[in-house]
Amino acid sequence: MPSQSSPATPVPPGAPPVPVPPAHASAIDPEGVPFRRVSDRLTTLRLIERGLGGLVFLAAASLPLVLRLAGVWGGYPDWLAWALPSAVLATVLWVLALVPRQVRAIGYAERNDDLLVRHGIMFHRVMVVPYGRMQYVDVTMGPLERMLGLSSVHLHTASPGTNAVLCGVPAAEAARLREQLSARGEAKLAGL
Amino acid sequence: MSAAFTGGAFHTDSADSWHRVHPVSPLVRGWVAVAAVLFIFGRNALDSLFTGRPDGRDISAGAPPAVIAAVVGAAIVVFGTGFFLSWRFTRYQVTDEHVHINSGIIFRQQRRARIDRVQSIDVVQPLVARAFGLAELKFDVADGGKSAFRLSFLKLDEAKRLRAAILARAAGVAVDPDAPDQVTEAPEQHVLALSPGRIIGATVFSSLSIVALLVLSGAVALTAWSGEIGVFIGFVPVFIGVGASYWKAITGDYNFRVALSPDGVRLHYGMLETRAQTIPPGRVQAVGISQGPVWRPFGWYRVHVNVAGYGDDRSDHGNRTVLLPAGTLEEVMAVLALVFPDPGVDNPVDVFTAGLRGPGNRHGFVHSPRSARWIDPLAWRYNAYRATSTALLCRHGVIFRRLEVVPHERTQSLSLRQGPLMAALGLVDFELHSTAGPIKPVVHHVALDAGRRLFDDQAARAATARRIHSAEHWLATAPSATPDPQEQQHAN
Repeated sequence: MPSQSSPATPVPPGAPPVPVPPAHASAIDPEGVPFRRVSDRLTTLRLIERGLGGLVFLAAASLPLVLRLAGVWGGYPDWLAWALPSAVLATVLWVLALVPRQVRAIGYAERNDDLLVRHGIMFHRVMVVPYGRMQYVDVTMGPLERMLGLSSVHLHTASPGTNAVLCGVPAAEAARLREQLSARGEAKLAGL
Repeated sequence: MSAAFTGGAFHTDSADSWHRVHPVSPLVRGWVAVAAVLFIFGRNALDSLFTGRPDGRDISAGAPPAVIAAVVGAAIVVFGTGFFLSWRFTRYQVTDEHVHINSGIIFRQQRRARIDRVQSIDVVQPLVARAFGLAELKFDVADGGKSAFRLSFLKLDEAKRLRAAILARAAGVAVDPDAPDQVTEAPEQHVLALSPGRIIGATVFSSLSIVALLVLSGAVALTAWSGEIGVFIGFVPVFIGVGASYWKAITGDYNFRVALSPDGVRLHYGMLETRAQTIPPGRVQAVGISQGPVWRPFGWYRVHVNVAGYGDDRSDHGNRTVLLPAGTLEEVMAVLALVFPDPGVDNPVDVFTAGLRGPGNRHGFVHSPRSARWIDPLAWRYNAYRATSTALLCRHGVIFRRLEVVPHERTQSLSLRQGPLMAALGLVDFELHSTAGPIKPVVHHVALDAGRRLFDDQAARAATARRIHSAEHWLATAPSATPDPQEQQHAN
């Protein structure tokens, strides 16, 4: 019986062979836990999503410039017309540049009693969700995610504070994770 | 009503036996509408009867008596039919495992709750229901306070008997083989009562009074500045609102009594609408003790609880999450001993006093390191935590002081957070997730090493505590260190 909560466990049976450690180990990671990374295709997905969002922003911010160049809005200050879209462009590029590192920083680890999830490069967060506390597991897939063969796994406990989302898990791994989590949740089920 | 309730015995129902609520209930629920209709038409009728204006200048006031009689008759028929149907279509049933409630005339609703998931039971008596000797039975399941199950209205005795029966089954009490129908109501043991003076005092010396004073001085200042009394009169609705808040706070908590019965902690309170709230043992997810600056000279504290069914429910007449509206330290300790019998330390009074007053590291509390004073110049020696063998205590704040207590076995999940500033100072925030409620336990600005150790230890402590306390039926399985059969079975 898995009674001791050991800090780390060997890779559970049926897991993908090689866990790739997250690129950005932070100071708050528990020691000796082999985190597994989510798929690198999440980078593509996020780049597309955030790139599209950024384009919309950029279009809105460039509107005064276009009007100014078209001569419709003559009184608009020249420097502001250029500064606004440039600032937005710089922000969008910065956000996009962060995406690969952010994706590499997402990691999860299945331990004997609980699941660890880590996020973030500047704002770190490590969360531990005991299997016995999981009320249900959601696996969702949007159209873009479907194209890339990815899923998102949400873990829900009785607490609204448990905000454990794993984005960019390959579909097969997500299905395995869901089964694994449900089975372990069942085995360790505690009331509330 | 049904024979099941006679003679103090209580059968659980078979699948096809149903009960109805008391026939007067729709009237008790809908009396406001009836009263409004009666008031409008009654006043007009009286007007026309006594003043007898024959010329009919004002049509609404001078309608002929026949019309009035017809309208009143129609109203009686409409309300009567509505009430009858509403009564007729509301049925309930308590079986060994479930409570069923069917209701609704056009939009039918059938609800079923598992008895062993019942988190708490209230017996509520609004003023009108009290006049009829009726009570509403209201119970929560763990859905974050979204919707409670209500049975309104039953005779008070029946409501109490039903409560006892549901709680006994939720507790997993073995049925007595000699008298399987017998569910005697659990006797109550008085613990403490708050005097009216305390309730009024606590309300007067609360943040509400600060708001009231601010509003009053604002009104006076504006009046003096503009020199018109009309400005002051314009504030009257605000004053009425403030007065209503006082009234609500005082009548809501009036006669607050805490008692202990084998099926849980029983809270009685209310002046006009009375409420008897039962929280079974082990359903309290977290306890929070707080004190504002105005209460400090009086030494009063307020105690809140997180119960899975209550959620953040502040709407439903007063605050159901309050375990003690204003109590001294002794009273707080007495109440804590009920919901949290084993504090896990030898000197609970000292530890909790240190937890409520601070500052410093006395009695095992660990406060933020010196580097935290850059973020938290006032409170860094007050923000502290201590893990006892049964619970985690989190202390906060200089001006508004709080102590949060979470039993290890009620921990849902944990997280550590760190932003760039905190990383530079070697600090980390430790969060503990409890069910929805007023208490959101967190330890701010822990030293990095201590925080990481706390994270690991707390996860291990929670796992161990869960194995020991995994019983849903709190009376059926005596708490012991043996793992429950379910887990053994899965381990094999």
